[in-house]
Amino acid sequence: MALRGNRRRTLYVMGKRANFVIVAFVLVLALLFVSTALGQVQTRLRIIEASNVGKSIDPALRDVHDQLGSLFNFTSYRLLRDESVSLSPNRPSQINAHQGVSLEITLTKQQKKKAEYQIRILRQGSEILDTKVRLSPGQTVLIGGPKHGQGSIILAISARF
Amino acid sequence: MKDSCSSISRLLEKYFDRETTVDERNLVQDHLRQCAACQAQLKSMEELRATLRSPVDEAVKEETFAWVWQKIEREIQTREKPSWQESIRAWFGLSFPFRRRVWIPAVAAALLIVAIGSPLLFKETPSQTELSIVEYVQSDTNNVMVFESEKENVAIIWLFEATEGEPST
Repeated sequence: MALRGNRRRTLYVMGKRANFVIVAFVLVLALLFVSTALGQVQTRLRIIEASNVGKSIDPALRDVHDQLGSLFNFTSYRLLRDESVSLSPNRPSQINAHQGVSLEITLTKQQKKKAEYQIRILRQGSEILDTKVRLSPGQTVLIGGPKHGQGSIILAISARF
Repeated sequence: MKDSCSSISRLLEKYFDRETTVDERNLVQDHLRQCAACQAQLKSMEELRATLRSPVDEAVKEETFAWVWQKIEREIQTREKPSWQESIRAWFGLSFPFRRRVWIPAVAAALLIVAIGSPLLFKETPSQTELSIVEYVQSDTNNVMVFESEKENVAIIWLFEATEGEPST
């Protein structure tokens, strides 16, 4: 009788411990899930110089040429920089694009497969453009126009999930 | 009368211990009013009980039972620390996952996950505005053109910046 009571108590204590372990495990999973969902977003930023000087198109910029071709008749596309930035929500990141032109990019919102950015283009520290865009995988926003030599600077921004 | 005494005598002990039924009690009490012998027997039982009870009561009053409680507490502490064999047996025991006590916190935790995760998992149906890439564009200094191509998954924002010596278009 005493042995049976002892075993029952042991099982009860172990059952309580098992409850704790299960709850802790599930909570860790929940935290991982939330942190993954609300974590950082890899953002690809390409800085391109488009001009009518020459006829060279960087092979890595075929997509940009195809997208801009129907609107602008640039004959040359040169990749100045291609980098990936890891952005955390609501933490602005400032990047010098080229010769006095910089951009400040902020991840304002992140949903499951959509990232929302606020992008400010600055020339010599003064804001010349402020925009808010939403990017899903495979989508690109091209921001162009700032003059650079005989051409223009184009910023190609896309999100990686 | 003697026959009556012998039959009451059997009930007298039950009466003394307060174990009789109402009828039996009435019967005994009626008999006791008439029978001195049975009254004497009952009185002797009461005296015997008083004699036995008084030293026991005194001893109980003097005793604090502290040692009994110490022993009980020691026993509880010993039982709360299971041996490693018992722990392993309990861990692998098939019975514990099926106990209700395990499922209550598990279900609570699952509900917590659903509460946290559902806004992220179940998006609202996007409106036309939400489907577009560009939400807004603003420039105080230059003209801006926005072009969105749904087919090519691209949005173009073009800032018309004037060349030096030329006003912005």
